[in-house]
Amino acid sequence: MKKPRSLSNPAALRDATVLRHVSQLGSARDGLREWRLQRLTALALVPLGLYFAASMLWLATSDRMTAAAWLGSPIPALLVMLFVVAALAHALVGLRSVLLDYVHTRARRLAADLFVRAVVVILAGASVLAVLKLFLGR
Amino acid sequence: MPTATSAASNTKTQEKRTVVTPTRAGSDPKTSDQRTVQRPLSPFMFPTWYRFQITSALSILHRITGIGLALGSILLAWWLIAVAAGGELFAATHAFIASPIGMLLLLLWSIAFFYHLCNGIRHLAWDAGHGFELRTAARSGFAVIAATVLLTVLAWLYVLVA
Repeated sequence: MKKPRSLSNPAALRDATVLRHVSQLGSARDGLREWRLQRLTALALVPLGLYFAASMLWLATSDRMTAAAWLGSPIPALLVMLFVVAALAHALVGLRSVLLDYVHTRARRLAADLFVRAVVVILAGASVLAVLKLFLGR
Repeated sequence: MPTATSAASNTKTQEKRTVVTPTRAGSDPKTSDQRTVQRPLSPFMFPTWYRFQITSALSILHRITGIGLALGSILLAWWLIAVAAGGELFAATHAFIASPIGMLLLLLWSIAFFYHLCNGIRHLAWDAGHGFELRTAARSGFAVIAATVLLTVLAWLYVLVA
């Protein structure tokens, strides 16, 4: 009888997921790219998110001058743009996987997928433009 | 492997498992000798049949907070545009954020954010192959809840003091 491999053995897990074994699997064969994007953005969002959350809690109820001055200075402008883009890319992967799980009709799933993509692109573009305007118009 | 012994031990374990509540018995598939097979239950049967587990509860909460944060990004984009545009738009946005509903949304956003952040780090540890033991997974789950509460309380103490 074959003994089931323990998941607590890191080597067992690693050997079952080496790149050459999994690179052609997954949704439409580019599931790995999505998986990677989700993890990379997750890693980036740990520091960016903490920085953003701390700033937001301080800024959310502040007046316009303070907020505009902060968003217009180079480092906050860069970090906020990076945060928004990484967060929306991360959200897109997550929202698409939710749609794949719960929307079963092909047509509806395609419609929902296109809608979510459009909203994410618009939100990212609008946010970046807003920050750029403040940064360039200083 | 000696077949006789294995068959005997199989019967034993199956008999032990055949503890069935009356309402479930009718719909359950039967083995050839009419014993009920107990199959695992899907989470949609929660909470009637599905025993509460910290791991599954936190898993669905990760999704829910993720969707919530994605919706929150609409508000974030709106706020950034309002700061850039200024004037009446900023005044209206500012009044909305300072209103009780706005503050409630901000509170919910911070809880969702800190939870998704802490549980996301737990997920990254799993991706690296660590912490899959049931007890470890449950413990890290409780740690995530504790960290979420702590970070949220600290953040709002800071807001209220400053």
